[in-house]
Amino acid sequence: MDECKVIIMGFGSVGQGVANAISMKKDLIKDKTGVDVKVVAAADSSSSAISQDGLDEELLVNTKKEKGKLSAYPEFGSDVSGMDVLDAVEYDCLIEATPTNIVDAEPAFSLTLKAFEQGKDVVTSNKGHLALKFKEVVGAAEKAGVEFKYEASVGGSMPIINFSRDTLSSCDIKSIKGILNGTTNYILSRMTSEGSDYEVILKESQELGIAETDPTQDVEGIDAACKTVILANSVLGIDATYSDVKVQGISSINSQAIELAKKDDYLIKLIAEVSPDNLQVSPRLVKRGSSYDISGTLNMATVETDLAGDITVMGLGAGSLETASAMLTDLISILRNKS
Amino acid sequence: MRINLVLELLDSPGKLVKVLEPISTFGANLVTVIHKRDYKNDNGMVPVQLTLEGEHEELKNVVDKFEELGFTIIEMDGVVRKEKITTILFGHIVDQDLRDTMDRINELDGVEIVAFDIKLNGEDKSTALINIEADLGKKQIIFNRIAEIASEKDLLVINEV
Repeated sequence: MDECKVIIMGFGSVGQGVANAISMKKDLIKDKTGVDVKVVAAADSSSSAISQDGLDEELLVNTKKEKGKLSAYPEFGSDVSGMDVLDAVEYDCLIEATPTNIVDAEPAFSLTLKAFEQGKDVVTSNKGHLALKFKEVVGAAEKAGVEFKYEASVGGSMPIINFSRDTLSSCDIKSIKGILNGTTNYILSRMTSEGSDYEVILKESQELGIAETDPTQDVEGIDAACKTVILANSVLGIDATYSDVKVQGISSINSQAIELAKKDDYLIKLIAEVSPDNLQVSPRLVKRGSSYDISGTLNMATVETDLAGDITVMGLGAGSLETASAMLTDLISILRNKS
Repeated sequence: MRINLVLELLDSPGKLVKVLEPISTFGANLVTVIHKRDYKNDNGMVPVQLTLEGEHEELKNVVDKFEELGFTIIEMDGVVRKEKITTILFGHIVDQDLRDTMDRINELDGVEIVAFDIKLNGEDKSTALINIEADLGKKQIIFNRIAEIASEKDLLVINEV
Protein backbone atom coordinates (compact mmCIF):
# COMPACT_ATOMS: atom_id res chain seq x y z
CA MET A 1 0.00 0.00 0.00
CA ASP A 2 1.64 3.32 -1.05
CA GLU A 3 -1.42 5.48 -0.71
CA CYS A 4 -4.29 5.64 1.77
CA LYS A 5 -7.39 7.47 0.61
CA VAL A 6 -9.48 8.76 3.50
CA ILE A 7 -12.96 10.21 3.86
CA ILE A 8 -13.59 12.59 6.75
CA MET A 9 -17.26 12.40 7.77
CA GLY A 10 -18.30 15.21 10.05
CA PHE A 11 -16.55 18.53 9.67
CA GLY A 12 -17.00 20.29 12.98
CA SER A 13 -14.20 20.93 15.43
CA VAL A 14 -12.87 17.35 15.34
CA GLY A 15 -13.20 16.86 11.55
CA GLN A 16 -11.39 20.13 10.90
CA GLY A 17 -8.75 19.13 13.45
CA VAL A 18 -8.16 15.90 11.52
CA ALA A 19 -7.78 17.83 8.24
CA ASN A 20 -5.31 20.22 9.86
CA ALA A 21 -3.40 17.41 11.53
CA ILE A 22 -3.12 15.45 8.26
CA SER A 23 -1.83 18.55 6.53
CA MET A 24 0.78 19.05 9.28
CA LYS A 25 1.82 15.40 9.62
CA LYS A 26 1.72 14.03 6.05
CA ASP A 27 5.50 13.81 5.82
CA LEU A 28 5.80 12.21 9.23
CA ILE A 29 3.20 9.57 8.32
CA LYS A 30 5.05 8.89 5.05
CA ASP A 31 8.31 8.50 7.00
CA LYS A 32 6.79 6.17 9.58
CA THR A 33 4.69 4.01 7.30
CA GLY A 34 5.78 4.65 3.73
CA VAL A 35 2.19 5.58 2.90
CA ASP A 36 0.83 8.84 1.45
CA VAL A 37 -2.41 9.91 3.11
CA LYS A 38 -4.84 11.60 0.74
CA VAL A 39 -8.19 13.14 1.73
CA VAL A 40 -10.58 12.20 -1.12
CA ALA A 41 -13.76 13.47 0.52
CA ALA A 42 -14.91 15.52 3.48
CA ALA A 43 -18.53 15.97 4.45
CA ASP A 44 -20.52 18.11 6.86
CA SER A 45 -24.16 17.52 7.78
CA SER A 46 -25.60 18.71 4.44
CA SER A 47 -22.85 18.86 1.84
CA SER A 48 -19.38 17.69 0.89
CA ALA A 49 -16.26 18.14 -1.18
CA ILE A 50 -15.21 15.12 -3.21
CA SER A 51 -12.25 14.50 -5.51
CA GLN A 52 -10.63 11.20 -6.38
CA ASP A 53 -7.33 13.05 -6.91
CA GLY A 54 -7.33 14.44 -3.39
CA LEU A 55 -8.42 17.65 -1.73
CA ASP A 56 -6.38 20.39 -0.09
CA GLU A 57 -6.81 20.04 3.68
CA GLU A 58 -6.23 23.70 4.49
CA LEU A 59 -8.64 24.81 1.79
CA LEU A 60 -11.27 22.47 3.23
CA VAL A 61 -10.94 24.06 6.66
CA ASN A 62 -10.93 27.61 5.28
CA THR A 63 -13.96 26.92 3.08
CA LYS A 64 -15.90 25.55 6.03
CA LYS A 65 -14.86 28.45 8.26
CA GLU A 66 -15.57 31.19 5.73
CA LYS A 67 -18.54 29.85 3.76
CA GLY A 68 -20.11 27.66 6.43
CA LYS A 69 -20.48 24.61 4.16
CA LEU A 70 -18.22 22.33 2.18
CA SER A 71 -20.31 22.58 -0.99
CA ALA A 72 -18.58 25.95 -1.45
CA TYR A 73 -15.21 24.18 -1.97
CA PRO A 74 -13.87 25.36 -5.34
CA GLU A 75 -14.64 23.00 -8.24
CA PHE A 76 -15.17 19.86 -6.06
CA GLY A 77 -17.94 21.12 -3.73
CA SER A 78 -21.10 19.02 -3.95
CA ASP A 79 -24.54 18.46 -2.45
CA VAL A 80 -23.88 14.77 -1.91
CA SER A 81 -24.13 14.08 1.82
CA GLY A 82 -24.49 11.35 4.44
CA MET A 83 -24.22 7.70 3.38
CA ASP A 84 -24.04 8.64 -0.32
CA VAL A 85 -20.58 10.10 0.17
CA LEU A 86 -19.25 6.58 0.80
CA ASP A 87 -20.51 5.53 -2.66
CA ALA A 88 -19.30 8.64 -4.46
CA VAL A 89 -15.58 7.97 -4.26
CA GLU A 90 -13.05 5.18 -3.85
CA TYR A 91 -11.44 5.13 -0.40
CA ASP A 92 -9.50 2.98 2.06
CA CYS A 93 -10.36 4.38 5.48
CA LEU A 94 -13.31 6.27 6.93
CA ILE A 95 -12.45 8.88 9.54
CA GLU A 96 -15.76 9.29 11.31
CA ALA A 97 -16.09 12.48 13.36
CA THR A 98 -19.83 13.18 13.38
CA PRO A 99 -21.41 14.42 16.64
CA THR A 100 -22.20 11.85 19.32
CA ASN A 101 -25.85 10.85 19.44
CA ILE A 102 -26.79 9.00 22.59
CA VAL A 103 -30.42 8.39 21.54
CA ASP A 104 -30.05 6.26 18.40
CA ALA A 105 -26.30 6.54 17.64
CA GLU A 106 -26.94 7.95 14.16
CA PRO A 107 -25.51 8.85 11.72
CA ALA A 108 -22.32 7.25 13.06
CA PHE A 109 -23.82 3.77 13.40
CA SER A 110 -25.06 3.46 9.79
CA LEU A 111 -21.98 5.13 8.32
CA THR A 112 -19.68 2.78 10.21
CA LEU A 113 -21.59 -0.38 9.26
CA LYS A 114 -21.69 0.71 5.65
CA ALA A 115 -17.93 1.27 5.60
CA PHE A 116 -17.41 -2.20 7.11
CA GLU A 117 -19.66 -3.72 4.45
CA GLN A 118 -17.54 -2.02 1.82
CA GLY A 119 -14.48 -3.64 3.44
CA LYS A 120 -13.03 -0.37 4.72
CA ASP A 121 -11.25 0.41 8.00
CA VAL A 122 -12.80 2.99 10.32
CA VAL A 123 -11.29 5.41 12.84
CA THR A 124 -13.82 7.21 15.03
CA SER A 125 -14.09 9.82 17.77
CA ASN A 126 -17.77 9.09 18.25
CA LYS A 127 -19.16 7.69 21.50
CA GLY A 128 -22.82 7.09 20.64
CA HIS A 129 -22.64 3.78 18.77
CA LEU A 130 -19.92 2.48 21.10
CA ALA A 131 -21.94 3.29 24.23
CA LEU A 132 -25.22 1.91 22.88
CA LYS A 133 -24.15 -0.97 20.63
CA PHE A 134 -20.53 -1.80 21.34
CA LYS A 135 -20.78 -5.52 20.69
CA GLU A 136 -22.71 -5.07 17.48
CA VAL A 137 -20.29 -2.54 15.98
CA VAL A 138 -17.10 -4.33 17.04
CA GLY A 139 -18.62 -7.64 15.94
CA ALA A 140 -19.41 -6.20 12.50
CA ALA A 141 -15.81 -5.03 12.08
CA GLU A 142 -14.49 -8.47 13.00
CA LYS A 143 -16.90 -10.16 10.64
CA ALA A 144 -15.88 -7.88 7.80
CA GLY A 145 -12.20 -8.43 8.62
CA VAL A 146 -11.45 -4.72 8.83
CA GLU A 147 -9.87 -2.54 11.49
CA PHE A 148 -11.97 -0.38 13.79
CA LYS A 149 -10.20 2.07 16.11
CA TYR A 150 -11.71 4.46 18.62
CA GLU A 151 -8.99 5.83 20.91
CA ALA A 152 -10.30 9.39 20.41
CA SER A 153 -13.70 8.48 21.87
CA VAL A 154 -12.30 8.49 25.42
CA GLY A 155 -10.09 11.18 26.91
CA GLY A 156 -9.30 13.10 23.70
CA SER A 157 -5.52 13.22 23.43
CA MET A 158 -4.99 11.16 26.58
CA PRO A 159 -3.91 7.63 25.65
CA ILE A 160 -6.04 5.12 27.53
CA ILE A 161 -7.57 2.41 25.31
CA ASN A 162 -4.54 1.49 23.22
CA PHE A 163 -2.36 2.17 26.26
CA SER A 164 -4.25 -0.32 28.45
CA ARG A 165 -4.64 -2.94 25.74
CA ASP A 166 -1.30 -2.75 23.94
CA THR A 167 1.28 -1.08 26.15
CA LEU A 168 0.06 -2.93 29.25
CA SER A 169 -0.68 -6.18 27.43
CA SER A 170 1.21 -8.24 30.05
CA CYS A 171 -1.20 -7.13 32.77
CA ASP A 172 -4.75 -7.92 33.77
CA ILE A 173 -6.59 -4.62 34.16
CA LYS A 174 -8.66 -4.75 37.34
CA SER A 175 -10.22 -1.30 37.23
CA ILE A 176 -9.97 2.17 35.75
CA LYS A 177 -10.93 5.24 37.74
CA GLY A 178 -10.62 8.73 36.44
CA ILE A 179 -11.83 12.11 35.37
CA LEU A 180 -13.16 11.66 31.84
CA ASN A 181 -15.00 14.92 31.29
CA GLY A 182 -13.08 18.18 30.96
CA THR A 183 -16.04 20.54 31.16
CA THR A 184 -17.20 19.35 34.57
CA ASN A 185 -13.64 19.28 35.84
CA TYR A 186 -13.24 22.89 34.74
CA ILE A 187 -16.47 23.91 36.50
CA LEU A 188 -15.60 22.08 39.74
CA SER A 189 -12.02 23.42 39.71
CA ARG A 190 -13.23 26.98 39.41
CA MET A 191 -15.90 26.50 42.06
CA THR A 192 -13.11 25.25 44.33
CA SER A 193 -10.62 28.02 43.62
CA GLU A 194 -13.13 30.89 43.68
CA GLY A 195 -15.83 29.65 46.04
CA SER A 196 -18.46 30.65 43.46
CA ASP A 197 -21.77 28.95 42.85
CA TYR A 198 -22.38 26.33 40.19
CA GLU A 199 -24.74 28.45 38.05
CA VAL A 200 -22.28 31.37 37.91
CA ILE A 201 -19.35 29.25 36.77
CA LEU A 202 -21.50 27.27 34.32
CA LYS A 203 -22.61 30.50 32.66
CA GLU A 204 -19.02 31.74 32.39
CA SER A 205 -17.90 28.39 31.00
CA GLN A 206 -20.59 28.67 28.33
CA GLU A 207 -19.39 32.16 27.42
CA LEU A 208 -15.83 30.84 27.14
CA GLY A 209 -17.01 27.98 24.88
CA ILE A 210 -15.87 25.34 27.40
CA ALA A 211 -19.44 24.28 28.17
CA GLU A 212 -22.04 23.82 25.43
CA THR A 213 -25.20 25.95 25.19
CA ASP A 214 -27.05 22.83 26.29
CA PRO A 215 -24.62 21.48 28.90
CA THR A 216 -26.75 18.45 29.87
CA GLN A 217 -24.47 15.77 28.36
CA ASP A 218 -21.49 17.05 30.33
CA VAL A 219 -22.92 18.21 33.66
CA GLU A 220 -25.33 15.33 34.11
CA GLY A 221 -22.51 12.83 33.62
CA ILE A 222 -23.86 11.38 30.34
CA ASP A 223 -20.65 11.98 28.40
CA ALA A 224 -18.53 10.39 31.14
CA ALA A 225 -20.97 7.46 31.35
CA CYS A 226 -20.55 6.78 27.59
CA LYS A 227 -16.79 6.68 28.09
CA THR A 228 -17.27 4.36 31.07
CA VAL A 229 -19.14 1.93 28.81
CA ILE A 230 -16.44 2.11 26.14
CA LEU A 231 -13.65 1.38 28.64
CA ALA A 232 -15.68 -1.39 30.30
CA ASN A 233 -16.13 -3.19 26.98
CA SER A 234 -12.83 -2.49 25.28
CA VAL A 235 -10.39 -2.74 28.19
CA LEU A 236 -12.06 -4.83 30.89
CA GLY A 237 -14.10 -7.05 28.59
CA ILE A 238 -17.35 -6.29 30.45
CA ASP A 239 -20.41 -6.71 28.27
CA ALA A 240 -22.10 -3.47 29.33
CA THR A 241 -24.21 -0.81 27.72
CA TYR A 242 -25.17 2.72 28.66
CA SER A 243 -28.09 1.70 30.87
CA ASP A 244 -25.77 -0.39 33.08
CA VAL A 245 -23.96 2.70 34.39
CA LYS A 246 -25.13 4.44 37.57
CA VAL A 247 -24.97 8.12 36.69
CA GLN A 248 -25.03 11.18 38.92
CA GLY A 249 -23.96 14.56 37.56
CA ILE A 250 -22.59 17.67 39.22
CA SER A 251 -25.55 20.06 38.89
CA SER A 252 -26.53 19.66 42.54
CA ILE A 253 -23.03 20.31 43.90
CA ASN A 254 -23.02 23.65 45.68
CA SER A 255 -20.21 25.82 47.02
CA GLN A 256 -20.97 24.67 50.59
CA ALA A 257 -20.18 21.06 49.75
CA ILE A 258 -16.93 22.15 48.14
CA GLU A 259 -16.06 24.30 51.15
CA LEU A 260 -16.74 21.49 53.62
CA ALA A 261 -14.63 19.08 51.56
CA LYS A 262 -11.79 21.62 51.44
CA LYS A 263 -11.70 21.90 55.23
CA ASP A 264 -10.85 18.21 55.40
CA ASP A 265 -8.32 18.51 52.58
CA TYR A 266 -10.60 16.98 49.96
CA LEU A 267 -11.74 18.10 46.52
CA ILE A 268 -14.96 17.11 44.79
CA LYS A 269 -14.47 15.61 41.31
CA LEU A 270 -16.74 13.86 38.85
CA ILE A 271 -15.21 10.38 38.85
CA ALA A 272 -15.90 7.55 36.45
CA GLU A 273 -15.32 4.13 37.93
CA VAL A 274 -14.95 1.10 35.67
CA SER A 275 -14.65 -2.23 37.45
CA PRO A 276 -16.39 -5.61 37.18
CA ASP A 277 -18.56 -4.81 40.21
CA ASN A 278 -19.13 -1.12 39.67
CA LEU A 279 -19.84 0.99 36.61
CA GLN A 280 -20.48 4.42 37.99
CA VAL A 281 -20.14 8.12 37.29
CA SER A 282 -20.61 10.28 40.36
CA PRO A 283 -19.17 13.18 42.33
CA ARG A 284 -16.57 11.79 44.73
CA LEU A 285 -14.17 13.10 47.35
CA VAL A 286 -10.52 12.94 46.34
CA LYS A 287 -7.52 13.87 48.48
CA ARG A 288 -5.80 17.12 47.63
CA GLY A 289 -2.40 16.36 46.11
CA SER A 290 -3.46 12.89 44.94
CA SER A 291 -3.32 11.92 41.28
CA TYR A 292 -6.99 12.90 40.97
CA ASP A 293 -6.10 16.48 41.91
CA ILE A 294 -5.95 17.95 38.40
CA SER A 295 -7.58 21.22 37.42
CA GLY A 296 -8.96 22.90 34.33
CA THR A 297 -10.18 20.82 31.40
CA LEU A 298 -7.61 18.06 31.94
CA ASN A 299 -8.61 14.40 31.99
CA MET A 300 -6.88 11.64 33.95
CA ALA A 301 -7.24 7.94 34.55
CA THR A 302 -5.66 5.51 36.98
CA VAL A 303 -5.38 2.00 35.63
CA GLU A 304 -5.18 -0.68 38.32
CA THR A 305 -3.18 -3.67 37.07
CA ASP A 306 -2.14 -6.98 38.61
CA LEU A 307 1.56 -6.88 37.72
CA ALA A 308 2.40 -3.22 37.38
CA GLY A 309 0.36 -1.73 40.21
CA ASP A 310 -1.41 1.53 39.54
CA ILE A 311 -0.53 3.57 36.47
CA THR A 312 -1.91 7.05 35.91
CA VAL A 313 -2.21 8.92 32.62
CA MET A 314 -3.27 12.51 32.11
CA GLY A 315 -3.90 14.76 29.14
CA LEU A 316 -6.16 17.21 27.39
CA GLY A 317 -9.57 15.60 27.11
CA ALA A 318 -10.96 17.71 24.30
CA GLY A 319 -9.95 20.17 21.62
CA SER A 320 -9.71 20.04 17.88
CA LEU A 321 -6.07 19.08 17.26
CA GLU A 322 -5.83 17.16 20.54
CA THR A 323 -8.66 14.79 19.58
CA ALA A 324 -7.33 14.62 16.01
CA SER A 325 -3.96 13.49 17.40
CA ALA A 326 -5.59 10.34 18.79
CA MET A 327 -7.35 9.67 15.47
CA LEU A 328 -4.13 10.11 13.52
CA THR A 329 -2.36 7.72 15.89
CA ASP A 330 -5.08 5.16 15.17
CA LEU A 331 -4.70 5.73 11.44
CA ILE A 332 -0.92 5.28 11.65
CA SER A 333 -1.32 2.03 13.55
CA ILE A 334 -3.71 0.75 10.88
CA LEU A 335 -1.21 1.67 8.16
CA ARG A 336 1.63 -0.03 10.05
CA ASN A 337 -0.39 -3.22 10.41
CA LYS A 338 -0.95 -3.27 6.68
CA SER A 339 2.66 -2.88 5.66
CA MET B 1 9.64 -11.76 70.11
CA ARG B 2 5.96 -12.60 69.76
CA ILE B 3 3.01 -10.92 68.08
CA ASN B 4 -0.71 -11.60 68.31
CA LEU B 5 -2.76 -11.02 65.18
CA VAL B 6 -6.41 -11.32 64.28
CA LEU B 7 -7.04 -11.76 60.57
CA GLU B 8 -10.29 -11.89 58.65
CA LEU B 9 -10.74 -14.73 56.19
CA LEU B 10 -13.32 -15.45 53.57
CA ASP B 11 -15.12 -18.69 54.39
CA SER B 12 -13.90 -20.69 51.40
CA PRO B 13 -11.69 -23.79 51.08
CA GLY B 14 -7.94 -23.36 51.31
CA LYS B 15 -7.88 -19.89 52.88
CA LEU B 16 -6.29 -20.97 56.17
CA VAL B 17 -3.51 -22.80 54.36
CA LYS B 18 -2.76 -19.62 52.41
CA VAL B 19 -2.33 -17.76 55.71
CA LEU B 20 -0.02 -20.37 57.19
CA GLU B 21 2.30 -20.60 54.18
CA PRO B 22 4.14 -17.26 54.58
CA ILE B 23 4.85 -18.01 58.25
CA SER B 24 7.21 -20.86 57.46
CA THR B 25 8.48 -19.22 54.27
CA PHE B 26 9.85 -16.30 56.28
CA GLY B 27 11.14 -18.49 59.12
CA ALA B 28 8.70 -17.47 61.85
CA ASN B 29 7.14 -19.95 64.26
CA LEU B 30 3.45 -20.46 64.72
CA VAL B 31 2.65 -20.59 68.46
CA THR B 32 -1.15 -20.55 68.45
CA VAL B 33 -3.87 -20.63 65.83
CA ILE B 34 -7.55 -20.30 66.69
CA HIS B 35 -9.87 -20.75 63.78
CA LYS B 36 -13.59 -21.23 64.47
CA ARG B 37 -15.22 -21.73 61.13
CA ASP B 38 -18.78 -21.67 62.44
CA TYR B 39 -18.39 -18.12 63.80
CA LYS B 40 -18.72 -15.25 61.37
CA ASN B 41 -18.44 -11.54 62.13
CA ASP B 42 -20.62 -8.72 60.67
CA ASN B 43 -18.59 -8.72 57.48
CA GLY B 44 -19.49 -12.36 56.92
CA MET B 45 -15.83 -13.23 57.47
CA VAL B 46 -14.19 -15.79 59.73
CA PRO B 47 -11.71 -14.27 62.20
CA VAL B 48 -8.48 -16.18 62.80
CA GLN B 49 -6.30 -15.54 65.83
CA LEU B 50 -2.58 -16.17 65.39
CA THR B 51 0.36 -15.93 67.74
CA LEU B 52 3.72 -15.89 65.98
CA GLU B 53 7.27 -16.02 67.29
CA GLY B 54 10.41 -14.91 65.51
CA GLU B 55 12.93 -12.15 64.87
CA HIS B 56 11.54 -8.65 64.29
CA GLU B 57 12.46 -8.77 60.60
CA GLU B 58 10.85 -12.18 60.08
CA LEU B 59 7.60 -11.10 61.70
CA LYS B 60 7.55 -7.88 59.70
CA ASN B 61 7.97 -9.87 56.47
CA VAL B 62 5.07 -12.12 57.41
CA VAL B 63 2.77 -9.17 58.19
CA ASP B 64 3.76 -7.42 54.95
CA LYS B 65 3.06 -10.61 53.01
CA PHE B 66 -0.39 -10.96 54.62
CA GLU B 67 -1.23 -7.44 53.50
CA GLU B 68 0.16 -8.06 50.03
CA LEU B 69 -2.05 -11.15 49.77
CA GLY B 70 -5.04 -8.99 50.66
CA PHE B 71 -5.75 -10.42 54.14
CA THR B 72 -7.19 -7.79 56.45
CA ILE B 73 -5.42 -7.64 59.81
CA ILE B 74 -8.09 -6.28 62.11
CA GLU B 75 -6.15 -6.51 65.37
CA MET B 76 -2.45 -6.43 66.19
CA ASP B 77 -1.22 -7.11 69.76
CA GLY B 78 -4.64 -6.41 71.19
CA VAL B 79 -5.02 -3.07 69.40
CA VAL B 80 -7.94 -2.86 66.98
CA ARG B 81 -6.77 -1.25 63.78
CA LYS B 82 -8.96 1.62 62.58
CA GLU B 83 -9.55 3.44 59.36
CA LYS B 84 -11.09 6.84 58.69
CA ILE B 85 -13.93 7.40 56.26
CA THR B 86 -15.15 10.76 55.09
CA THR B 87 -18.38 11.40 53.27
CA ILE B 88 -20.61 14.32 52.34
CA LEU B 89 -24.41 14.28 52.41
CA PHE B 90 -26.59 16.84 50.65
CA GLY B 91 -30.34 17.21 51.03
CA HIS B 92 -32.92 17.90 53.74
CA ILE B 93 -30.65 16.32 56.33
CA VAL B 94 -32.16 17.90 59.47
CA ASP B 95 -35.81 17.55 58.44
CA GLN B 96 -35.21 13.92 57.52
CA ASP B 97 -34.42 13.00 61.13
CA LEU B 98 -30.73 13.71 61.55
CA ARG B 99 -30.63 11.78 64.81
CA ASP B 100 -31.92 8.63 63.08
CA THR B 101 -29.28 9.03 60.34
CA MET B 102 -26.47 9.23 62.89
CA ASP B 103 -27.83 6.41 65.07
CA ARG B 104 -28.08 4.06 62.14
CA ILE B 105 -24.43 4.61 61.27
CA ASN B 106 -23.26 4.43 64.89
CA GLU B 107 -25.16 1.23 65.60
CA LEU B 108 -22.90 -0.69 63.19
CA ASP B 109 -20.43 -2.76 65.16
CA GLY B 110 -17.02 -1.08 65.42
CA VAL B 111 -18.21 2.07 63.64
CA GLU B 112 -18.37 5.54 65.15
CA ILE B 113 -19.08 9.02 63.85
CA VAL B 114 -16.26 11.17 65.24
CA ALA B 115 -17.08 14.51 63.60
CA PHE B 116 -20.10 16.06 61.96
CA ASP B 117 -20.00 19.43 60.23
CA ILE B 118 -23.19 20.85 58.75
CA LYS B 119 -23.93 23.95 56.69
CA LEU B 120 -27.53 25.08 56.86
CA ASN B 121 -29.07 27.01 54.05
CA GLY B 122 -32.37 28.38 55.38
CA GLU B 123 -35.24 26.30 54.07
CA ASP B 124 -33.02 24.95 51.29
CA LYS B 125 -31.11 21.70 51.26
CA SER B 126 -28.19 21.52 53.65
CA THR B 127 -24.75 19.96 53.30
CA ALA B 128 -22.97 17.85 55.92
CA LEU B 129 -19.50 16.39 56.12
CA ILE B 130 -19.21 13.28 58.27
CA ASN B 131 -15.99 11.73 59.60
CA ILE B 132 -16.31 8.11 60.63
CA GLU B 133 -13.80 5.94 62.42
CA ALA B 134 -14.19 2.23 61.90
CA ASP B 135 -12.45 -1.05 62.47
CA LEU B 136 -10.47 -2.11 59.43
CA GLY B 137 -12.49 -3.81 56.71
CA LYS B 138 -15.82 -2.16 57.54
CA LYS B 139 -15.74 0.33 54.68
CA GLN B 140 -18.19 -1.44 52.40
CA ILE B 141 -20.72 -2.04 55.20
CA ILE B 142 -20.64 1.67 56.02
CA PHE B 143 -21.01 2.67 52.36
CA ASN B 144 -23.96 0.30 52.02
CA ARG B 145 -25.65 1.65 55.15
CA ILE B 146 -25.19 5.26 54.01
CA ALA B 147 -26.50 4.43 50.53
CA GLU B 148 -29.57 2.82 52.10
CA ILE B 149 -30.27 5.88 54.31
CA ALA B 150 -29.65 8.24 51.39
CA SER B 151 -32.07 6.52 49.05
CA GLU B 152 -34.74 6.44 51.77
CA LYS B 153 -34.29 10.13 52.64
CA ASP B 154 -33.48 11.39 49.15
CA LEU B 155 -29.96 12.57 50.02
CA LEU B 156 -27.03 12.90 47.62
CA VAL B 157 -23.92 11.07 48.84
CA ILE B 158 -20.39 12.05 47.88
CA ASN B 159 -18.06 9.23 48.89
CA GLU B 160 -14.30 9.00 48.71
CA VAL B 161 -12.71 7.43 45.65
